[in-house]
Amino acid sequence: MKIKLNKLVVGVGASLAVMAAGAANADIKIGIAGPMTGPVAQYGDMEFSGARMAIEQINANGGVMGEKLVAVEQDDVCDPKQAVTVANNMVNEGVRFVVGHLCSSSTQPASDIYEDEGVLMITPASTSPAITDRGYELVFRTIGLDSMQGPVAGNYIASLKPERVAVIHDKQQYGEGIASAVKSTLEDDGINVVMYEGITAGQKDFSSLVTKLKQANVDFVYYGGYHPELGLILRQAQQAGLDAQFMGPEGVGNKDINTIAGDAAEGLLVTLPPSFDQKAENQKLVKAFQDKGEDPSGPFVLTSYAAVQLIADGIEKADSKDPYEVAAALREGTFDTPIGEVQYDQSGDLKSFDFVVYKWHSDGSKTPVK
Amino acid sequence: MHDVMYFLQQLINGLTVGSAYALIAIGYTMVYGIIGMINFAHGEIYMIGAYVSLIVITGLAVTSPAWIPLVLLVALICAIIVSSSMGWAVERIAYRPVRGQHRLIPLISAIGMSIFLQNYVHLAQGSRNIGFPLLIEGGISLGGSGGGFQANLSYMQLTIFIVTLVCMTGLSLFISRSKTGRACRAVSQDLKMSSLLGIDTNRIIAATFVIGAALAAVAGLLLGMYYGSIDPLFGFIAGLKAFTAAVLGGIGSIPGAMLGGLVLGVAESFTSGYLSGEYKDVVSFGLLILILLFRPTGLLGKPEVEKI
Repeated sequence: MKIKLNKLVVGVGASLAVMAAGAANADIKIGIAGPMTGPVAQYGDMEFSGARMAIEQINANGGVMGEKLVAVEQDDVCDPKQAVTVANNMVNEGVRFVVGHLCSSSTQPASDIYEDEGVLMITPASTSPAITDRGYELVFRTIGLDSMQGPVAGNYIASLKPERVAVIHDKQQYGEGIASAVKSTLEDDGINVVMYEGITAGQKDFSSLVTKLKQANVDFVYYGGYHPELGLILRQAQQAGLDAQFMGPEGVGNKDINTIAGDAAEGLLVTLPPSFDQKAENQKLVKAFQDKGEDPSGPFVLTSYAAVQLIADGIEKADSKDPYEVAAALREGTFDTPIGEVQYDQSGDLKSFDFVVYKWHSDGSKTPVK
Repeated sequence: MHDVMYFLQQLINGLTVGSAYALIAIGYTMVYGIIGMINFAHGEIYMIGAYVSLIVITGLAVTSPAWIPLVLLVALICAIIVSSSMGWAVERIAYRPVRGQHRLIPLISAIGMSIFLQNYVHLAQGSRNIGFPLLIEGGISLGGSGGGFQANLSYMQLTIFIVTLVCMTGLSLFISRSKTGRACRAVSQDLKMSSLLGIDTNRIIAATFVIGAALAAVAGLLLGMYYGSIDPLFGFIAGLKAFTAAVLGGIGSIPGAMLGGLVLGVAESFTSGYLSGEYKDVVSFGLLILILLFRPTGLLGKPEVEKI
């Protein structure tokens, strides 16, 4: 017990020291929350890489209102429970502005805490409509919604005129949300959806599902979810000789799917945010990433960059570090960012955001199809 | 014909996964049979088996198909050696010092070991899904030609059946014929008495851990390749399912574990095939509850006799 008490004293002392240090310099802390580990850490890498670059460049240009931005990075493993812990940690660390989280199911519970504690957050990746439809004042995003992405995917599928479509999802907020949007678009377009079914995230054996798809004679499969499961479905479908076109949302569009699915990933259709790294006005920024040995082509790199920049611009515009005033400034202004001109509506959603359909290749590259 | 083929295909799918569950379940059931504890770190041993075989396969980097059987054999042997050593070490470090104490203590030690091994692999190998190359391709088409649904038995599935069959037969022979096997049975009947009769019980207990771990490593290689990707959480769910299989069949009974594995695999496959994939786990765990309600000792378990 004695030892424990000693540790406690040391711990309290250390945290006091940290708080004192925090108070001493007048830096602006920018929280970055996302998965550094876990099955979707690949997306976290994009987020951290984009946000770090933005902080670096803003600081190099003299910071915000003469103060430097300081990153506070935390790992939420894309787990809702962990996300709540991370959100509380952010609040305890005195962070007033957060970029994150990444997975919708993490962003949702974390945003409750941020809103209650007066922390402004901008998610660079969460597309679930539920996040911004609660009338929260401090919740923003630099990405579109499933309700925009679903119809883009649905209408594209309809234009291919498949005979029998299956819609599969992973029963999570993101996957099921987007799958149901695709399904309703398809039904509105008069396309025959013969199967609508959930799987369990983390599952490895899809032989029964694949057999069922084969039995149902589907020629098109839409999957709402992330790449670890779709990779396995693609691979097991190829082995079983299922001849169908697969499609997924941006949660499946990263190079990890190739290590899992191999050749089977060739020709997969993916809806992704447009390749911001291809835009002519971003080439200087792209070069900066490449000089650091980082890849700016991931879907969330530049959305994360934009999120940090919006926080910085918002603070400048509001001429205040108060998150509520910054939120008001973000809703009023028009901002020029690497993801284009940004305007917010009352709910904190972008006024316009385009998703583009890409064809994925087995070497991890992609080509736009429309 | 169409429906028969569909049924057959789902049966094959179920038996494949079931065989692998059975291989893992043996480890749970043998340890329980002998020292009456649940080795919750067993799923992690299976996961480590899968990682070791993947590392060996990638390391050998053989592209010529002629060498594939040899590569698989080397991978299998390495996986068995590493996993068995792990199984042995886990017993020696985490269970032997607390054996004979209140039964909760080894259980907690086992859960701790499971968390430790999982995080160890997290740190050593990263937490991402890693693709597992499929070295056994192709398959046999069953059922009539000319359109319609055809059942397909892939060579990979066939390999899983054959390897499981060989392992199970080998294990049964070992338990029933060999001297160590006889000692295993004696220890499981009465640990104290068999030690009085001159059986080195520590050695026998270590042997059960090693055998269980070796079979788990075999399952790790087979399932890793069959599914196509592995991650550090790979062992957790499989371990849970195999544990269910062991309880279903009657924990402590080796034929029970085999039967339990197959029943569970087929039940899961038919649920996703005829109902919906969403109910897969509901049905398998519902089945477990039913069996425990009406046959608390499992399908093949014998009621425990109070020893005086």
